[in-house]
Amino acid sequence: MLNWKFVFYVMSIIMVVESFFLMISSAVAFFYGDGDFYTFVQSASISLIIGTITYFSTYQCKKDIGKREAFIIVSFVWVIFSIFGAMPFLLGGYVDGFTNAFFETISGFTTTGASVISNIEALPHGILFWRSLTHLLGGMGILVLTIAILPIFGFGGMAMFNAEAAGITPEKLHPRIKETAQRLWGLYMLLIALETIFLALGGMGIFDAICHSFGTLASGGFSTQNESIVNYSPYIQYVLIVFMFLAGTNFTLHYFAIKGNVKKIVQNQEFKVYIALILFVTSVITVTLVYLDHGSFEKSFRDALFQVTSVITSTGFVSADYTLWHPYLLFLIFGLMFTGACVGSTSGGVKILRHLLLFKNSLLEFKRLIHPSAVLPVRYNNDMVGQDIISKILAFVILYFMVFFIGCFAMTLVGLDFISALGAVATTMGGIGPGLGTVGPMNNFAQVPDAGKWILSFLMLLGRLELFTFLIIFVPSFWKNQ
Amino acid sequence: MVKFKIILNILGKLLVGESFFLFLSLIVSLIYGESDSLAFLKAGLITLVVGSLSYLTSKGVKKDLGKREGYIIVSLVWVVFSIFGCLPYLFSGAISNVTNAFFETMSGFTTTGSSILNNIEELPHGILFWRSLTQWMGGMGIIVMFLAILPTLGIGGRELFVAEVPGPAPDKLTPRIKETARNLWGLYMLFTLIQTILLFAGGMTFFDAINHSLTTMATGGYSTKQASVGFFTSPYLQYVIIFFMFVAGTNFTLSYAVITGKATKIFKDEEFRFYTIVVLLFSLLIAVGLFAAGNISGEQAFRDSLFTVVSIITTTGYATADYLLWTPFLGMLIFVLFFVGGSAGSTGGGVKVVRILLLFKNSFYELKRLVHPNAVIPIRYNKHVVDQKTVTNILAFFVFYVIIFMISSILMSLWTPDIYSAFSAVATTLGNIGPGFGEVGPMENFYKLPDLAKWFLAFLMMLGRLELFTVLVLFSPSFWRH
Repeated sequence: MLNWKFVFYVMSIIMVVESFFLMISSAVAFFYGDGDFYTFVQSASISLIIGTITYFSTYQCKKDIGKREAFIIVSFVWVIFSIFGAMPFLLGGYVDGFTNAFFETISGFTTTGASVISNIEALPHGILFWRSLTHLLGGMGILVLTIAILPIFGFGGMAMFNAEAAGITPEKLHPRIKETAQRLWGLYMLLIALETIFLALGGMGIFDAICHSFGTLASGGFSTQNESIVNYSPYIQYVLIVFMFLAGTNFTLHYFAIKGNVKKIVQNQEFKVYIALILFVTSVITVTLVYLDHGSFEKSFRDALFQVTSVITSTGFVSADYTLWHPYLLFLIFGLMFTGACVGSTSGGVKILRHLLLFKNSLLEFKRLIHPSAVLPVRYNNDMVGQDIISKILAFVILYFMVFFIGCFAMTLVGLDFISALGAVATTMGGIGPGLGTVGPMNNFAQVPDAGKWILSFLMLLGRLELFTFLIIFVPSFWKNQ
Repeated sequence: MVKFKIILNILGKLLVGESFFLFLSLIVSLIYGESDSLAFLKAGLITLVVGSLSYLTSKGVKKDLGKREGYIIVSLVWVVFSIFGCLPYLFSGAISNVTNAFFETMSGFTTTGSSILNNIEELPHGILFWRSLTQWMGGMGIIVMFLAILPTLGIGGRELFVAEVPGPAPDKLTPRIKETARNLWGLYMLFTLIQTILLFAGGMTFFDAINHSLTTMATGGYSTKQASVGFFTSPYLQYVIIFFMFVAGTNFTLSYAVITGKATKIFKDEEFRFYTIVVLLFSLLIAVGLFAAGNISGEQAFRDSLFTVVSIITTTGYATADYLLWTPFLGMLIFVLFFVGGSAGSTGGGVKVVRILLLFKNSFYELKRLVHPNAVIPIRYNKHVVDQKTVTNILAFFVFYVIIFMISSILMSLWTPDIYSAFSAVATTLGNIGPGFGEVGPMENFYKLPDLAKWFLAFLMMLGRLELFTVLVLFSPSFWRH
């Protein structure tokens, strides 16, 4: 039988931890005196009280965790965090209704960055800080999950290759979850600090610099400005580009960089494809913008590079309204929403490694047509990739498309037009933020019907958890006893 | 070294075959005493002469056909047939532009049915007959190619079409290509004949009846009317066409089984069951949607829905209702059908039902494998275990299909005024359907596209018809090495 007590035990700890972060936000609110201090005190209290009560009802449980408990916990964590995290928005009246509050919060924790708030700049500092904090927590959570925890169960992006392949395995980072998590926190905080400094040097206020840094490293995309990054200086845009790129890189590569092991970075095929893709698409867009839309070279290049990096890393900051571009460029951007950046980063989406392995496999199919009896395995970073892994990746991609189509149906059913539906689903599944049409980069999700917001919230969660981690709960044999 | 002489030999024989059909059209044109007779005489003679010369100059060549020669011939046939098939249009002035003539002809032979004509009903009878004949020939060619020729050459993918069908697999149909081909053609002609009679009995002119039967069985979609089958408002006629489209989209070996008295085989076939369920499900959903939208009777809603669903899924492409006027949700349902395709071993194009079915099965099996990673859970189809190689092949095919679709759509959007037209033009030509969305919708045609776009789409038609790999393998370096 499933150890539900343990599940709730973990949830209680989560709630207490969350109340802690809500209290930090209340401190920020107090510091700026915008009037949201009490909202945060109330929200923190709710989380703390319910968390504590739950803790004392469940702490006498058996502390053994099986696969099933683990998966349920992972999915629950995001939901619980979002429910309690919605309190500040709801209690302070900064959004209308629980649907909107939940949407904004889960968008924060899944580091999507899609917003229902029209006038962001009118929000109090505490709320703005909490919003960005949800990104920070979500990003950190996903790093620990995908780099430290899931591979142990043979799951997810990082578990896609054998232990010896690429040399990038949790084992090599550190054999124990705790230590791995600590290192990741350290790296994450270091990068945030660096970015904050660079942004502040460029003239951004400290508060805005911190919030944007939280959003960048989490590949989230919530900004403190209504127009996102459009009105910031070129220097600031370039800083953001660099850190978005870094946030989309495998964090184990960052670790190797700090340790001076450059060889591992240079040999990593996924990283190389990541760079090549960004450069290629940026070039195409730059050329088109310069020749067809008659822009200046530097601005066209900057706009192209920013949007491309932002979408590929699923950050979602916007520095130019890409819906005004030539339709063919819009299509390119839409296509990029299905790419994702590197595994082991905070970015969402399918991930480059999967695309790379699938593509290699498809090329091999040609060879197999001609030599049907030859054994032609896929190679990655000089190692062989088993067909079972290829099969898993393919199953993932198929499932991704199925969920995408069903999501689009659902969104057209609640009333979105075709293009907006496609964009909304693609952007939430991929954790990006801005979409197309009525939910484009210069709009927001406020006018989407409530039912639609719930569907999109669900899709954000599905996408963040890379489908399987959540969908496994629906497999009948999951619930049967071994 | 590739044996070009044998390629020349076979193509020569095939061209002589094509000239026969050109002379058939000549007879039709003489019957109606119209201006295109000379054009057909010239076209027929040129084709006959070139064909005979090719055959005669390569006489005495050793008749051993290798895999490489097989692949080259298969691709070249479509191109060569289309080149010579253009001649009647050009000589008679029915289509004076070479790009347009080639497009119309390739669209004929690949049984796509996309047209550049906006004055169909003014064309002479011989030309209209030839147009329909190109589709009929294309359909015939594709059945024989996939069910008889390619398997014998040991060219990949055969397992899907052949081994999985219980009972009358071509191996069991007859052991030799010629006999198998003859049986399939016999069946094909029988259906064409029966449909002609039934349509004629329903009030269609004999000429219209035979033309529509030719293009229905080929799942082509060319009509003698500008408004397609929408011109014929009689429910009886529409239902007859629905029935024969459905049959044309069924595996011909199953139809053969039914005719030879083994009807139960068809009901046990998983692909057929899935195909039927998809048709019923989609038709019902759309019918309800259309009826609820108001202004039409229940019967009309059902008929419009069923007709459109069957037309699109079998990749025929006739149009009765303008689905562009439907709600986005219904339009999206239709768009999804663009990616399903007909059954394997039918004249239908697209991804093919059996592949979609196996893709789904694989995804669900992967979910199961998540729960039991060490268990061996094979995929079963029609009670046989599906070889992992076959599964990988299907998955690779699908990946390629999507990649080609996305890249082509992005390219296409350079040439079309809007995104809908771009990706639907690609989807409809790749899937050999005919009508698309936007500017190339069911009530429009492809006339307005730039020439370059037409050549590109013609290439996609061929690519899709030959199921991608068969053509793309020619571009792979290892194909040419030894």
